[in-house]
Amino acid sequence: MAEVTEELKQKVIDYLKTVTKAKNKEVAREIGEDKHLVDKAIAELGKEGKIEYLYLGASFIKLKE
Amino acid sequence: MADGETPLLDELEKGPWPSYVKEIKRMASKNAASKDLLGIQELSYKDKVTHWKHGGIVGVTGYGAGVIGRYTDMPDKFPNAAAFHTLRINQPAGWFYNTKSLRTICDIWEKYGSGMTNFHGSTGDIILLGTTTENLQPCFDALTDAGFDLGGSGSALRTISGCVGKARCEWSSIDTLDIIYNLTMEFQDEIHRPRWPYKFKIKTSGCPNDCSAAIARADFTIIGTWKDGLRIDQEKVREYVDKGMDINGLIVNKCPTYALEWDGKSRELKFYEDDCVRCMHCINKMPKAIRPGVDTGATILIGGKAPIIKGAYLSWVLIPFMKMEPPYDEVKDLLRKIWDWWDENGRTRERLAELIERVGLKTFLKEIGLKPVPQMVYKPRANPYVFLK
Ligand code: HEM
Ligand code: HEM
Ligand code: SF4
Ligand code: SF4
Repeated sequence: MAEVTEELKQKVIDYLKTVTKAKNKEVAREIGEDKHLVDKAIAELGKEGKIEYLYLGASFIKLKE
Repeated sequence: MADGETPLLDELEKGPWPSYVKEIKRMASKNAASKDLLGIQELSYKDKVTHWKHGGIVGVTGYGAGVIGRYTDMPDKFPNAAAFHTLRINQPAGWFYNTKSLRTICDIWEKYGSGMTNFHGSTGDIILLGTTTENLQPCFDALTDAGFDLGGSGSALRTISGCVGKARCEWSSIDTLDIIYNLTMEFQDEIHRPRWPYKFKIKTSGCPNDCSAAIARADFTIIGTWKDGLRIDQEKVREYVDKGMDINGLIVNKCPTYALEWDGKSRELKFYEDDCVRCMHCINKMPKAIRPGVDTGATILIGGKAPIIKGAYLSWVLIPFMKMEPPYDEVKDLLRKIWDWWDENGRTRERLAELIERVGLKTFLKEIGLKPVPQMVYKPRANPYVFLK
């Protein structure tokens, strides 16, 4: 499987700048990338502390302020 | 009402059973958050409305699960419990601890939290009740330094749990503890970084007695079973009968599929293997005489859940028999297929069973590449709750 690139992570961040919250699958759909790869990219961004998780009845992600 | 008095909560201390109010009061003398917790609870009872709010940003760096965020809506009145977050700590499979590790957890929690614990929560995790937002990260760091990790919460894979299995139980047809450990290590991302429509639970029981109630409590249920026949020691059967056991009344006639017959003349318990559904009843009644078979594996069931969007479901059979040996690749592949399909098609807060109900079992089987078999009864009993009249 393809690897997560910095470019992909930037695409995720750029998309998250346009919304208040999102689910992984929406991110993948909106930026037109493979879902598994986007899941990995989001996990890496989480570990790097660039995004955070929000719980509103179900879990979402958002950019860290 | 004078400050600190809790007449309504005090009612819950009456009676012969243990009371959480008594325990919180014990902590309240040492810990200001616990004191305010009593105040919030008393006021909620008085006002007949909860003074807690759910949700918000929950987690420590890199994690989106394991912290359950709770705030009071009256922070001015109860500043010490303005935030009262709970940490779920992934329990060791089978809940085995030594005293040193228990002391370590308690010391960390007295330093960073309310000091109150719940061993264990309904999820199986160690529940550390009540801390502030600022203390979450340092508490988590101290716990991970000591070798512990958070469990699941939110729209993640929940901490995997199951019965004590081969560690202590002779009926276990599968190594539940190894399965729990192996799947937990494999699915770290799924546990810590929630990305699905909603929660997903995996539970395993070593045999159909299902001591962990995996059928009622998990979206994905792994239950130990066997393919060959029961092992029957006829000598021991006769011993039970000679000691006065009513073998027809208690065993033969209670077998759900009439797979047993007691021949009074030859004094032999006849067994019709093809008719046995491996329910454990005769084994439970005559543990010295009857044992499960030796060609062991698991039945995989899906869809158990409590009522939230729709009603409660019990899990139903998906795969009648699967070998369960490390590294459990078959189970892992199946889980990944199910998750991909559910994540793609599920609506927010829709559990796997609800999605299957919405689109149909046929569609689900086709999508994950399984052929229908007669054992896939959909669904045997929808409401697991027993109402006593
Ligand atoms: C009407 C109010 C409430 C409802 C309907 C409610 C409902 C629930 C439900 C359905 C769960 C299980 C969730 C799961 O399976 O993950 C749960 C768990 C939990 N709730 Fe609540 N809750 C309420 C109030 C509260 C309050 C006020 C607190 C704390 C201040 C709280 C703390 C927790 C904790 C710590 C758990 C996890 C328990 C465990 O894992 O054993 N809840 N709640
Ligand atoms: C009149 C005295 C006692 C009564 C009525 C009693 C009753 C029980 C019951 C009903 C259980 C649950 C069994 C089950 O899960 O099926 C239990 C478990 C247990 N009891 Fe007792 N008990 C008594 C005395 C003791 C004493 C004196 C000890 C230890 C010195 C003890 C240690 C335990 C332990 C360790 C378990 C858990 C066993 C397990 O989880 O497998 N009990 N007891
Ligand atoms: S479910 Fe079966 S194997 Fe597990 S503890 Fe209960 S009786 Fe033993
Ligand atoms: S295990 Fe259950 S189904 Fe099988 S013979 Fe015993 S009672 Fe009958």
